[in-house]
Amino acid sequence: MSQQGPTNPLVSLDRVSFTYEGGGSPAVDDLCLDIAPGDFLGVIGPSGAGKTTLCSVLSGAVPHHFAGEFRGVATVCGMDSCEVGLTDVSRKVGSVLQDIDAQMVASSVEDEMLYGLENFGVPHDQIPGRIGEALATCGISGLLHREVATLSGGQKQKLAIAAILAIRPSVMVLDEPTAALDPASSLMVFQTLRELNRREGITVVVVEQKVALLCEFCRHVAVLREGRLALLGTPREVFSHSEELRSMGVDSPRVTRVSNLLRSRGLAREGDVSLTVGEAAALVSRVVGERGSLAWAATRPPLRLEGGRRHGEPTALELASDPMLTFDHVGFSYPGGTASVEDVSLELRPGELVAVVGQNGAGKTTVTKLMNGLLKPSSGRVTIAGLDTSRARTSQIAQHVSTLFQDPDRQICKETVVEEVAFSLQLLGTSDAEALSRARDCVEHFGLPAEAAPFSLGRGQRQIVALASVVVTNPEVLILDEPTSGLDYRECMTVMEAVEVARSRGCAVAMVCHDMEVVSDFATRVVVMADGRVLADGLPGEVFADEGLLARACVAAPQVTQLARRLSADVSRGYEGVTEVHDIVAVTEGLVG
Amino acid sequence: MASVLDYSEGTTLLHRANPVTKVVLAVCVCVATFLAQGYGMLLGVLLFLVALGAYAGILRRTLALLAGFLSLGALMLLVQTVVVRSGTPLFLWVTDQGLDRGARVALRLVAFALPLVMMLSLTRLTDLANATVEVLHVPYRYAFTITTALRFVPIFSQQMAKIVEAQTARGVDFDTPNPLRRLRLMLPLAAPLLISSVARADDTALAAEERGFYLRGRESSYKRYPFSAVDLACLLPGVALVALGALF
Repeated sequence: MSQQGPTNPLVSLDRVSFTYEGGGSPAVDDLCLDIAPGDFLGVIGPSGAGKTTLCSVLSGAVPHHFAGEFRGVATVCGMDSCEVGLTDVSRKVGSVLQDIDAQMVASSVEDEMLYGLENFGVPHDQIPGRIGEALATCGISGLLHREVATLSGGQKQKLAIAAILAIRPSVMVLDEPTAALDPASSLMVFQTLRELNRREGITVVVVEQKVALLCEFCRHVAVLREGRLALLGTPREVFSHSEELRSMGVDSPRVTRVSNLLRSRGLAREGDVSLTVGEAAALVSRVVGERGSLAWAATRPPLRLEGGRRHGEPTALELASDPMLTFDHVGFSYPGGTASVEDVSLELRPGELVAVVGQNGAGKTTVTKLMNGLLKPSSGRVTIAGLDTSRARTSQIAQHVSTLFQDPDRQICKETVVEEVAFSLQLLGTSDAEALSRARDCVEHFGLPAEAAPFSLGRGQRQIVALASVVVTNPEVLILDEPTSGLDYRECMTVMEAVEVARSRGCAVAMVCHDMEVVSDFATRVVVMADGRVLADGLPGEVFADEGLLARACVAAPQVTQLARRLSADVSRGYEGVTEVHDIVAVTEGLVG
Repeated sequence: MASVLDYSEGTTLLHRANPVTKVVLAVCVCVATFLAQGYGMLLGVLLFLVALGAYAGILRRTLALLAGFLSLGALMLLVQTVVVRSGTPLFLWVTDQGLDRGARVALRLVAFALPLVMMLSLTRLTDLANATVEVLHVPYRYAFTITTALRFVPIFSQQMAKIVEAQTARGVDFDTPNPLRRLRLMLPLAAPLLISSVARADDTALAAEERGFYLRGRESSYKRYPFSAVDLACLLPGVALVALGALF
């Protein structure tokens, strides 16, 4: 990127290494990176690759706020960050932390906006104008007089961006700004960042795990691994290495995997890398058009997928057994009437994995809390393993149900990993000796350090500890609230494989999830929610095929489903109902002979 | 979720008064409570506070706080009746002097705590910090530390509620009807709460530092906090209360 460009880099890291005090190995190691003015750089990498530390190096928090050993030279906007103070760097580099609630220094929007402007001594007559502009650019002018506590996650994220923007920094560094947001809000945050980058010329550096966003918005993508730069280039260059990325624990967009697979099969040309559904559709059309016989293809019946069973269709076991969990016209509203659910009816059978999807505030989390008895229905009935949740105590219900919460830190309370996992069994009445021995097996299975303190592990590892303590009890019902958010690709697969194992043993699984790729890969049924009501309950294929329904629930279909839909309309009916990358390529191969 | 420390919007004199005036008024009430000897005066102070709450549009919150502090006061009353052994026995272990002392202690406790919490729900914490820096010349770092600690109270109590929720879902019987057992179960959870709280406080410190925390001085605040007739109107009842407290 900028190394070849004529302009001097705005940020330049020259062999930067940093080891946190008390940390064994360096968090970033001999890192060299130049960022040109006006760039929009996305940073991705597996957990523990040094992404957050990179943000800290750029913002000056390393070495000024965090203690440790710093080597190399970090030059930011012409300043050597070691030679000036954090405040000097902050005039040029605005930084938004991962924990958005911790980022807030005031309790009202106006005070939050004022804070940086006041401190950096912006003349008071310019302040209202600056605030107005920054709020307008972020599209939140109407929020000026609100209290921070009343804002949604997406609004808080935009407020944090606006508060930095008002200071007019040259560089903006954001650490996973969309981790806690639904797809629609995530998209809005990136649109805001693009505005700043294009209109204000601010250089943006953003750590992000959602690869589709990186592809759509970033000019360059840097991949970190073990504190070093593994790959750097345009999204097209970087994601053309999808196999290599996967081995590192980094996901690629599904449509890019389609084009990469077509290339490896010799069907597409070198340089054919699709980043969006549109590009992939155009590529497949071209491949089929160049080499295939469309007349034959148009009359070919839909391809049967492997195993003779369409993905998501219930197995004999699922159909034969009685439901483990039933919602019978369930209603619930919080005191004060904020979020609520109305007239929800659904069933969950052993061996099923039901995904509950919808926007933030659609009532998904309320439904999961009604399932595990944390909330009792105000109308209707929830029955779980024969227990009416209104009559049973939550701790009794816990004998049958395990919940994996989005934030593992709420679940963890013991001093070592193995004690933590054993505690779940002890709560169910297992003897201490047996609990410890089963916990040891489980901890070993997940490759966790048994004697380590859970809180000393990274975020992803803590989630796996929480997962281990949830599945070790072999629950009859498993509830997952955003099980994969904040995890890298490999950790995500570890979680979902454990869920599949539980399911194959007859566990009924309910999962709230924003990642439609995960939903389409693993769910046997999808429940779509909006405004506290169930809009649809069906097979993933059927639900994702209904464009009107998805639009009403503000949910986007998985990329492969969108691609298959386009291809079945434009190229061949053979693509109808296809949900997997490999099947798209298989159908294409069939068509070109 | 609204907490008792959240700012409550409004345009009454109490809302418009200088934050320092509100602190002084609250302190006046505390002093009056300290000086007051008779039940009439102590009850009068409580009545005054409820009236203030009604005027400022936070009557419901004031009454809820009053009920909360009164139950704490009842506990104090009980303790005092056990501790004070002088006087004529009335019933069980209770003596007339014990009851008298206990009732006064209980009322004082309520009348002492209530105005401070009410002051916080009528003042934005940022305004409180800015005004104390501008008017009282308190160094900003102390003002920020105290107001941020107050701002974190509801955040941490929510965090604790979520931790308890997660543990209940796991099978820890927090839903037991026995309050002592509940308390015992809650103790081991202090560690996770502390760990996440320290991490969050450190992040907030970093976020503040990255927005020029160390540059802030007395002149930095965009809003100014001058005294006006409104402040005089708010201070007069406070001074009168202190005088009444000294007399009765």
